[in-house]
Amino acid sequence: MRALTASIEEVFREAAARWTLIAYFTLSSLFILIFALAVNLDVVNGALAGAKLFGQAVEMGDRSIDIDRLVLGFESGFSGFLYLVGTFLALFATAHLVPRLQEKGTVDLYLSRPVGRVALLLSRYCGGMLLAAANLVYLIGSIWLIIIWKTHVVHARFLLGGLTILFTIAVLLAFAFLVGVVTSSTGVSLMATYAVFFLAAMLSAHNRIAAAVSAEWAAKLVNGLYWVFPKTAELGRAAVEQVSGGRAFRHVAVAQDLFAIYGSTALFGLAALAFSCWLFSRKDF
Amino acid sequence: MSAIEARGLRKVYRSRLGGRSVEALTGIDLRVEPGEVFGLLGPNGAGKTTTVKILLGLTHATAGEASIFGIPVGDPESRRRVGYLPEGHRFPGYLTARQTLAIFGRMSGVARADLRHRIPKLLDRVRLADWADVRVKKFSKGMTQRLGLAAALVHEPDVLLLDEPTDGVDPVGRREIRDLLQEEAGKGRAILLNSHLLSEVELICGRVAVLAKGSVAAEGQIQDLTAATSHYKLVASGVDDALLGELRETGASVERVNGHFDLTARDVAHLNALVDRLRARGASLLELTPLRSSLEDVFVELVSPSVTDAGTRGRGDAEKEN
Repeated sequence: MRALTASIEEVFREAAARWTLIAYFTLSSLFILIFALAVNLDVVNGALAGAKLFGQAVEMGDRSIDIDRLVLGFESGFSGFLYLVGTFLALFATAHLVPRLQEKGTVDLYLSRPVGRVALLLSRYCGGMLLAAANLVYLIGSIWLIIIWKTHVVHARFLLGGLTILFTIAVLLAFAFLVGVVTSSTGVSLMATYAVFFLAAMLSAHNRIAAAVSAEWAAKLVNGLYWVFPKTAELGRAAVEQVSGGRAFRHVAVAQDLFAIYGSTALFGLAALAFSCWLFSRKDF
Repeated sequence: MSAIEARGLRKVYRSRLGGRSVEALTGIDLRVEPGEVFGLLGPNGAGKTTTVKILLGLTHATAGEASIFGIPVGDPESRRRVGYLPEGHRFPGYLTARQTLAIFGRMSGVARADLRHRIPKLLDRVRLADWADVRVKKFSKGMTQRLGLAAALVHEPDVLLLDEPTDGVDPVGRREIRDLLQEEAGKGRAILLNSHLLSEVELICGRVAVLAKGSVAAEGQIQDLTAATSHYKLVASGVDDALLGELRETGASVERVNGHFDLTARDVAHLNALVDRLRARGASLLELTPLRSSLEDVFVELVSPSVTDAGTRGRGDAEKEN
């Protein structure tokens, strides 16, 4: 256990030393600060009577806007934004963990300790996830508190969106680890993982793509790939749905869909992580 | 129980694309006992680092088995009692010396409370006490090497595997490292030293193995490997060229070198006959000293292509020949 906590601590020290942690938190803090200072709402009897953005009054006419709906709309939109930006930033901040571990002259220092290779790799994975989770909690938690402070509207659901974002990061980081173990390259890990993210998003339209292709095998391939790859587009929508309570999109995913989306994506992540552990434990250094 | 034991270690590096395979080790047997300083010598590509990496589980052997205090090297527990200093190691530059020892100490299972006491003493021992809170990236090569040694010792291991421990260290530092290693050996720790610096090895190690082309070309105590041979230093007066000619006619090799003679006799009887001849011809014998080979001589002889191509000598052959 000591070895594993030491390994996780080292991930944080490395992130801090490489400025990724500081940059990650500075950017988040900047966003939180701007949001806190820029938005001023005047709420009367649960309705928005007036609003100021960067000190300028927002023209609202005679309309009375339900503050609850407004906050929900903002929180839903912000979740979608965070799904994309948070995932990308988290991967950017953690994709180097395996390639750096495997560097010549470094890997010997770690593997010569009484720690199993799988445990070592998983400890770095946990370190990376904790790093991503810490930032998500900070960012989402701060925005949530500011919303409560400014509007007195409390939506605990807003926090749920973070879980889906974290789940997506966990799956994609597992894939980044697999590429890192094979190639020992941070650049390739990042590019390959981002490629999977976008390719998987495109495959959400697999039914239409399959119908458009002429060959039957091509249609099967597209459908097969859809089920193999993580459901990045669906997960993005799911994050927004969780926050909006199903009001953001017309199509509300039924439990069956959710199981398929989360289940098949989790399988992809687990397979990637298991394969990277297997490869790492067999590698000669 | 032996500290380190390897039997029939073989390693073949296979090409990924079906190209030529390279046999780095052809079947190595090694045994290092507690309290022993053992030197692993050999030219580049002889298999020294591969052997050490197999002992640490960094590389998987194709065949054979190895253990540390009876625990197979494939088991991470075998490394609990091992301290390793790799060649060309790169500690994370963002850590300070103190943080480096704390992290690697904890990775070896040492409690934080123990490390708080142990780290300052260790840093003092490797002359880095004043640099405890300076980031490693600011360190010179010698300082990094000394930190590496401290990191290898932080969990008080019973076995030390050191790859070129004095690499980049100044002469004073080298002597300090030698003293430190001898002190550690005195505590009963087994030390396996992998080095190109034969003079260092000669000063530190009791026993060595010379690897050549993936197998043990010779193994034994240094004094046995460098034992007196049939070469002698002869200092005598009244030796003229005619007398030298007579000595050579008996089959001896005699060369005049800087005021003395390098003499090679077949055996002791031949040597005595040569001395008798010298005296009979009126020469005065002033000094007759058997010459020992240096470890370097032995090394060069063992790894020179003519020897290794003809086939390597088996384990213990060096002792038999002496």
